[in-house]
Amino acid sequence: MPQVRIIAKNFMDMVASLPAMKLDRLYQNAFICEAILRSLPPLAKKYVVQMLFFDGPISGKLLEEWVLADGVTKHKVAIDRLIQLRIFTEAVDKKRESSYKLNQTFQVNLQKHLTNGGVLPREPMASTVRLPSLEELDTYAHEQWEVGSSSLCFHYPSHLHCSGQAEKPTNLSSSMMRIFQRGLLTQRDKDAPRLTEGGFQFLLMDTNAQLWYIIRDYISNSEERGTDPADLISFLLELSFHVTGEAYNMNTLTEIQRNAIKELADLGLVKLQQGRKESWFIPTKLATNLSVSLTDSSSRKQFASSLMILVGMFFMVIVIMHATGHVVVETNFRIYAYSSSKLHCEILRLFSKIEYQLPNLIVGAITKESLYTAFDNGITADQIISFLQQNAHPRVAERLPSVPENVTDQIRLWEADLNRVEMTSSHLYDEFPSRDTFEAACDFAREWNSLLWEDSKKMRLVVKAEIHMNMREFLRGQK
Amino acid sequence: MTSVPSKRYSDDVSLVVVLLDTNPFFWTASSSLSFSQFLSHVLAFVNSILLLNQLNQVVVIATGYNTCDYIYDSSMDASQSSEKGRMPSVYSNLLQKLEEFMIKDEKLGKEQSQRAIASSLLSGSLSMALCYIQRVFRSGPLHPQPRILCLQGSSDGPEQYVAVMNAIFSAQRSMVPIDSCYVGANNSAFLQQASYITGGVYVKPQHLDGLFQYLTTVFATDLHSRSFIRLPRPAGVDFRASCFCHKTTIDMGYICSVCLSIFCKHHKKCSTCGSVFGQAQSDTSSASDHKRKAPET
Repeated sequence: MPQVRIIAKNFMDMVASLPAMKLDRLYQNAFICEAILRSLPPLAKKYVVQMLFFDGPISGKLLEEWVLADGVTKHKVAIDRLIQLRIFTEAVDKKRESSYKLNQTFQVNLQKHLTNGGVLPREPMASTVRLPSLEELDTYAHEQWEVGSSSLCFHYPSHLHCSGQAEKPTNLSSSMMRIFQRGLLTQRDKDAPRLTEGGFQFLLMDTNAQLWYIIRDYISNSEERGTDPADLISFLLELSFHVTGEAYNMNTLTEIQRNAIKELADLGLVKLQQGRKESWFIPTKLATNLSVSLTDSSSRKQFASSLMILVGMFFMVIVIMHATGHVVVETNFRIYAYSSSKLHCEILRLFSKIEYQLPNLIVGAITKESLYTAFDNGITADQIISFLQQNAHPRVAERLPSVPENVTDQIRLWEADLNRVEMTSSHLYDEFPSRDTFEAACDFAREWNSLLWEDSKKMRLVVKAEIHMNMREFLRGQK
Repeated sequence: MTSVPSKRYSDDVSLVVVLLDTNPFFWTASSSLSFSQFLSHVLAFVNSILLLNQLNQVVVIATGYNTCDYIYDSSMDASQSSEKGRMPSVYSNLLQKLEEFMIKDEKLGKEQSQRAIASSLLSGSLSMALCYIQRVFRSGPLHPQPRILCLQGSSDGPEQYVAVMNAIFSAQRSMVPIDSCYVGANNSAFLQQASYITGGVYVKPQHLDGLFQYLTTVFATDLHSRSFIRLPRPAGVDFRASCFCHKTTIDMGYICSVCLSIFCKHHKKCSTCGSVFGQAQSDTSSASDHKRKAPET
């Protein structure tokens, strides 16, 4: 079965895939240099800082001497990354020894940063009006984000679920709506749009991963809308260096940035406010944490990435919700979620049977049927389990395991039930001229470790399709 | 706790407590590096630590010859700089506090002018650093990995021996490495021992005008990276102790077998724990018997 998976891929890979010209232009912005430096693996950071005040190239050997024997792979990863991002330029001399030189603009920008200290990208406005408090801002960001995500949920083809929600005003702009729906929803003829497999998985990701998924999509589609992705990336990175909760004048933005910021407001990254004369934007925690979550490197496993994400979420309310969690799973397969959020309810409904809902409590049960619908929708058992673990209520999160073992085992077993039959494309050979040829053919197939079945009485055998050509060659040789 | 491993910071987030030697006796005597040059190297280093990770935190403690004080804390700085808007964030704050500190230090020095002390209060600033780190430890499960960096120029004050050693052992207990960069003339036995015992790095830069490069290459390395990076190893550590009675550094002496206090001369009674010693035999016996244990209960 082909596994289609949404992986919230590293944002930096996206930056690295930009053409060289654009990348060089990006480095003219000091904030981007800073954000990119922070996203590097620790060893790469160290190399950059170490070489910051060197004008000439440095030989690779010299760098490698700093690393102990068991860190050589880390050295290679660091160097590769630096070259990929064009921070290092590699030169190979006559003796085949490579030396590295820092990107000039990058180097100058960081040198300035070190000697002058960090500054803010733009001056906050003198606060003439009452600005929203940090809590208000967090709630706002949270709500905006939920509106976006739940726009997906409402397309979930559920017969049970409340018709009242369609009336809920979704104040998302159409372009953001499209991003949310692209790839995550499919529409067949006259049917209501349905969530795709990717959409289901998206809902089970944590907020930062979701955010990055959307931002990535937003950037990669920017060209269709006539915006340069490099501009957007630079603006997003710059945004993350603003101070949360401060107001910034919209007049300081360029035309492109002004357009972008309206759409980012829909995601809850910034809050826009209109004064009598001028308008301003206030970055929320979601925006200022953008570059924190950049560090999420794809090389580490999902565990590590959720760890990094949690770091980013340290400050974030949404995320505090995730971090503090709300779900309790009992050994009798019942789920209690201490939440009044419609979104949480919809997410739980993806894989469990919601039995009743109290003002602050959702009660459901994991059943075989509910899981089968989830599996049909392309959600995997591991995703469900990791969702339950990540969102465990603090009381149960202290315990190990946070989700009872019998429940996790059973979820995995039910998933395995669906995959009882494994398909292997193969070829059947029969009518062998002699027993010797048959035996030789069997041995040959065994050597390739692809003999699937043999019937020595009737002299028939089945081998995997990959070695069909080799087998034919072999049989020809036998004749 | 293992149950919530995701709540810990990633490995390379660090809290660096920098102990800055401001001893005027040393800096006026030092010819190779002026204090302002030294400060500019250090400030660039502080910036580079803050640059490496947005969660990194730097605290600077000034070590004077009469007192010590916090002069910079990056976690406080964030809120302040946003109030005053745009400014070269680190410097103005730090320099202002440093100036106030120097004045205070000098005033205190005049009051107690009868004592001519040339050494800085390393023990005081080490204890302050450890207190700060303990507070961070107790702030919750989510904290950066702390380490201490001593930037010391003045020579050791043997009278601080006990206090410094206690600070070192408590750093060792709470697994906080003490890195030290000694810019003075001779090696510092205190700092060598501190780094040796706590697993930190001791460096005495050869070329002081390249101090920044030493600082970034060696001391900017976070604890996670230290497991795979080759850092300078100690060539030799001066393990000599100071005696408790006259605070002088000694090669050989007397040790109380009950409380391990060190004395340069034979005493009848241990000044620390009060144990009564027997007759000293060092006058008559050979030098190997010099290190005498004398319990008498």
